[in-house]
Amino acid sequence: MSEPRVLLELKDLRVTRGGKVELEPFSLLLHAGETVVLLGEAGSGKDAVLRTLGGFFERDEEAVGRLRVGDGEFQPVARRTKPALRTAYLPSATGNALDPRMSAAEQLSRVLARKLSCPKPAALEELRGALARFDAAPSLETIQAPVARLEPAAVAFGLLAAAAAATPELLLCDHPMADLSPLAANRVTRALLEEQTRQGFAIVYCAREPHPVVRLMARTIVLRRGQVVEEGSAAHLIGGQTHPYTKSIFKALPADLARPPRAASRGEPLLQVQNLMLDAAHRRRDAIGFELRRGAAMGLVGEPGSGRRRLLDAVLGLERRPGRVVFDAVDLNLLSETMALRLRRRVAFVTSRDGALDPRMSLWDTVDEPLRAHLNLSRELASDYRDNALKRVGLASHDGRQAVSSLSPFDRRRLQIARAIVAAPLLVVVDEPLRALDAPAQSTIRDLLGEFRVESQAGFLVLTSDFSVAAALCDDALVFDKGRLVERGPIATLLAAPREAATKALVEAATLKPAA
Amino acid sequence: MNTWRRVLVVAGWSGLGLVAVAVMLSEFLARWPAGSERVGPPLLAPSAPFPFGTDLLGRDVLSETIYGMSLSATQAAEAALIALVAGALMGFIGARLPRYLAALLHWAVASFAAIPPLLLALLLVALSSRGLCAVAAGLAAAPLAFLRTFERARRESLAGHAAHARATGISGSALLNRDLTYEFRDALLPTIARALAAVAIILSTLSFLGFGDTPPHRDLGLMIAAARSSYFTAWWTAAFPALALMLLILLARLAAGLDEGERP
Repeated sequence: MSEPRVLLELKDLRVTRGGKVELEPFSLLLHAGETVVLLGEAGSGKDAVLRTLGGFFERDEEAVGRLRVGDGEFQPVARRTKPALRTAYLPSATGNALDPRMSAAEQLSRVLARKLSCPKPAALEELRGALARFDAAPSLETIQAPVARLEPAAVAFGLLAAAAAATPELLLCDHPMADLSPLAANRVTRALLEEQTRQGFAIVYCAREPHPVVRLMARTIVLRRGQVVEEGSAAHLIGGQTHPYTKSIFKALPADLARPPRAASRGEPLLQVQNLMLDAAHRRRDAIGFELRRGAAMGLVGEPGSGRRRLLDAVLGLERRPGRVVFDAVDLNLLSETMALRLRRRVAFVTSRDGALDPRMSLWDTVDEPLRAHLNLSRELASDYRDNALKRVGLASHDGRQAVSSLSPFDRRRLQIARAIVAAPLLVVVDEPLRALDAPAQSTIRDLLGEFRVESQAGFLVLTSDFSVAAALCDDALVFDKGRLVERGPIATLLAAPREAATKALVEAATLKPAA
Repeated sequence: MNTWRRVLVVAGWSGLGLVAVAVMLSEFLARWPAGSERVGPPLLAPSAPFPFGTDLLGRDVLSETIYGMSLSATQAAEAALIALVAGALMGFIGARLPRYLAALLHWAVASFAAIPPLLLALLLVALSSRGLCAVAAGLAAAPLAFLRTFERARRESLAGHAAHARATGISGSALLNRDLTYEFRDALLPTIARALAAVAIILSTLSFLGFGDTPPHRDLGLMIAAARSSYFTAWWTAAFPALALMLLILLARLAAGLDEGERP
């Protein structure tokens, strides 16, 4: 069998930014059609490799090293040099690659037209053709809508179609599945790999979590603070990691989901939902009913747009819908807005939405606010509660006067948990708690939420598209699809024997298998 | 805010602080009482005894500029305070009114904001009296301050964090308190500085056009207007008051972070 063709080779690449070393000498040999995953947290240096290969350096970035393309001579890597390769870029669907107010197809076809040096209608047809090749991809007409109105999966397919239509030799993937649901990530990864088989391009894939390693089953280089800490095949790394940092990253992989059923907590009923209609067009048999007891946790599992958020809004009394919602023995539909507001004091949120915390507030004020607003506590007692909560989530060493806007997403997520802890809630709503976090941060947040659940005895409602998150935090789950509740039951039962196609797809996506 | 802009802001406020000190010490800094005529030969060029020269009536231009600056700065401060209360505070409250009421208020104020503030000030002076030109200037600058604050307050009240706070039972008054605290901390000083720059221009222009103060009270605008006949033969009579006015406006704009703001 002949040796695969060398596509490019990087030697002793060193990248500095503003005098700070971003990447220590790094070498990479990439063959045509090969996939390499660069795995690490933000600041690990993987993005510097990507930028060097793409030739799009940051303003104050300096790179030294040598690069050869194919069998050519080594050339020094310089700021403005770009490998003589047809390169395409696949960014994250939830990043800022596209203007959210403008049509996705419009923007993608404009980029593609420039790349292919063809008129825009021709680029649109190329885009349509690429989308048609992918299973479960949206049509070109669907992605004509503004980006803000599209599901992240639709945007991801659009971006992939634009990249594939450029017929690249090298595809640079910049966390393309980072914020997608497992099901969407599986589908897009499968499309990516099919397209790679068809076109034979090489992939350099940057990831901050280990899930893509499992899906792609490719050679993986683990980077930390600009240095390679471990390297090997996916099978080797999944089988066992040698470096502690690699271990901390792979800890974020879902544990064995098929665990025996947990003994569900049997406290007093906290939340009772009866005959709730999420949509006026629904028939009576679509009405939703469930009960959540104190100390128990219920997962609302489904893809974005499946109806779980509508259910949550109705449950919290934020939207009035036909049906009965009893929270802490009070019927929410009978309450005035003022009384409902008082009742919602016993609700806490932990969400992946960036804007959930006021960016102007300080760390201390953010945690203090529920105490100040709802209870008449002395300053000393309030600061005791606050300090304890911050200590529990590992933020005690931070400057309390620091503004929320200056915190990392991980710290903001921990701050939300601290705020929830001091509020002593009856109900904790956890909304995609691990989204947009690095792998070690995901493990920490999962552990913190688990501890909080055990210690607080509050009821937990966990909104997620990832059954592994539901399995880690919940006893029971409701599965939603296309605006309807399709299945319910104990998590263990749903994982072991899902009945509905939607549940099967969600469970299969969460069990993480190679996409090829 | 980047470091360079922060330096400019600090420089602006420091300069305004010095102007305030000069205003308080104007009686001591000026060599002659306000309006003293024939203290030197008419239209004497800048020289050692009269560094800014003298005007047509033999008044010391340096002393007159100090008094003019004092009067202009005091009136501008009063007018800026009016713009702040009638504009920014109303904008902050208006943004929290029920949606339709807020939209109506916004539309009404935006209609006033479409009129150049100088013309609005002229109209208000005509409808009131010459002595109320500071009030007129403040009210003329208020619509733009209102709109800016209204937009910011509306954005904050509709922000995701406010929705999350409401969903966890944080009351409207607690949210109002939160916004007021940060509005005061983050936006009060720039708003005052922008209003100060705007009203200083309006007041000086009113005086220059003869709708403002009358002698013996001479602000910088009136001094420049009085020097019109002698400007081409004795440049110092208008140049120094004009420079003082420019300095006041520049300092206010620097204090606002070189924000265009409520430019009339």
